[in-house]
Amino acid sequence: MQIYLPIAELPVSILTILAMGAAVGFLSGMFGIGGGFLMTPLLIFLGIPPAVAVGTQTTQVVASSVTGALAHFTRRSIDFKMGGVLLAGGVVGSLSGIYLFKLLAAIGQIDLAISVIYVLFLSVIGAMMMIESVQAIRAARGGRVTPRRKHHSWIHGLPFKVRFRRSKLYISVIPPVLVGYFVGTLSAIMGVGGGFIMIPAMIYLLRMPTNVVIGTSFFQIVFVAALTGVMHSVENQAVDIVLGFLLVVGGVIGAQYGVRAAEKMPAEQLRALLAAILLLIGMRLGYDLVSTPPDLYSVIEAEPLS
Amino acid sequence: MMRRAAALFIAFLAFAAPACADQLVTDLSEHQVAIRSNFTGTQILLFGAVEAARPGSRALNRDIIVVVQGPSRPMTVRRKKQMTAIWVNHDSVTYPSVPGYYAIASTRPLEVTATPETLKALRIGIENIDPGTPTAHAIDGTQQILPPDEERAFWKALIRNKRRDGLYINVPGGVTFLGQTLFRATVDIPAKVPVGLYTAKVYLLQDGEIIDTISSPLYIEKGGVERFLYRMAHTDPLLYGMIAVLVAAFAGWLASAVMARR
Repeated sequence: MQIYLPIAELPVSILTILAMGAAVGFLSGMFGIGGGFLMTPLLIFLGIPPAVAVGTQTTQVVASSVTGALAHFTRRSIDFKMGGVLLAGGVVGSLSGIYLFKLLAAIGQIDLAISVIYVLFLSVIGAMMMIESVQAIRAARGGRVTPRRKHHSWIHGLPFKVRFRRSKLYISVIPPVLVGYFVGTLSAIMGVGGGFIMIPAMIYLLRMPTNVVIGTSFFQIVFVAALTGVMHSVENQAVDIVLGFLLVVGGVIGAQYGVRAAEKMPAEQLRALLAAILLLIGMRLGYDLVSTPPDLYSVIEAEPLS
Repeated sequence: MMRRAAALFIAFLAFAAPACADQLVTDLSEHQVAIRSNFTGTQILLFGAVEAARPGSRALNRDIIVVVQGPSRPMTVRRKKQMTAIWVNHDSVTYPSVPGYYAIASTRPLEVTATPETLKALRIGIENIDPGTPTAHAIDGTQQILPPDEERAFWKALIRNKRRDGLYINVPGGVTFLGQTLFRATVDIPAKVPVGLYTAKVYLLQDGEIIDTISSPLYIEKGGVERFLYRMAHTDPLLYGMIAVLVAAFAGWLASAVMARR
């Protein structure tokens, strides 16, 4: 069954979109991630214009992060203060990301920028996670416990220190604001929530305790993604409400099963699996960047010449 | 229903009073195409008749050419170039007015219908589309002048691209005569068609000379919910964006409410 998308201006199969939403939702429920980094490339492979893919994807991110944030709210595993500081950076980052997106689209390099950023982040983070989880699995088999590093870094020398009670931290607000800004910018350009960058940054850079990391990340993603979605509508008219709705429905259903599947799998193996998925997508996109395209020429509608 | 109306119309044409020179009478099966949620492309039937100046005279070497053209917009063609292993959009050429859709059908292949000069002068045929004066830009956005054969390559790429999407169509033999005076042609409208005002032009040729032309409008627009959403996204983007986000947030809340109940 086909449905015509009013903003993307092409017909797609409803079942394909629902299935994609469900598959990504499954992974997102399984790994506790937004899943945007999986969905945006899939939509682009399907022929949805990259701008519409990114803009629409934000609605799916809003839906899955609301679900995630509510679950963590009931478990009281959200550091609202830290979330607020991250959000302050995220709002400014999202706004500048939107304008960067517009600028790159105008000079014809947005597709390249999206691909390059994806390849970089997916491969770096995928590789880091893979190394970590392989080490952890080995350590678990060997019965050794990896010593937890705890030392003062340059971060503790920065001014504007604030106490974050839930995270049991007393650090400067500068690093969280910068992390929020950076992830907000990326989220506007890539159409992702940015959890896969935010969470490692919170753990390794800010040294937040792991139990509040995911909830806090979801909490601030809700607002950054909502803002990004509205801004993509206003600036680029790139949010397809029909496509978004189908993705959300598929995603919500898929996520339920993903959460259940995750309960049956050991955490370290789960992390290795996610790392493998990240690396595979990164390699696929990287291959597309360097392989000779089938047609060197591409046609797009130009802005009326001034 | 549509077919019957067409048949009636054709029957009416066949008995219509003769004029002083050979003349065309045509119509389309639809003058308005609404793109709704189930739109996956459509077909337009164009039919008509040649009213002979002297009834009963057998016209030899008579040809019909049908051109359906979509709204023109500026388009940019970009060429990728490998820069340190990565393929990057490099040079670009912008054409100020490129038809978003161009379908041509004729009784015989165009080459034998009329001389290339005639076709070129009347802009008939995909090769004869006039996109206006192109401007070329380098990767850094500065204007540059490309040699004519390179510029030609960009234009050929645009045509290739549009043909691949089914937006530029050439059907030699696509117009069929039913007897002496009646003719019909079907034109494919693909799903990715741009919206706007189209014109369907019919040329009547006798021995390679144009003796009559007729053109009728065709509106292709979004209809129903599609139209409403598209309009809203463009006229009231803030509200549209907020609704999109709120619907998503509501779905997320609903999901967690359902999960919590289990």
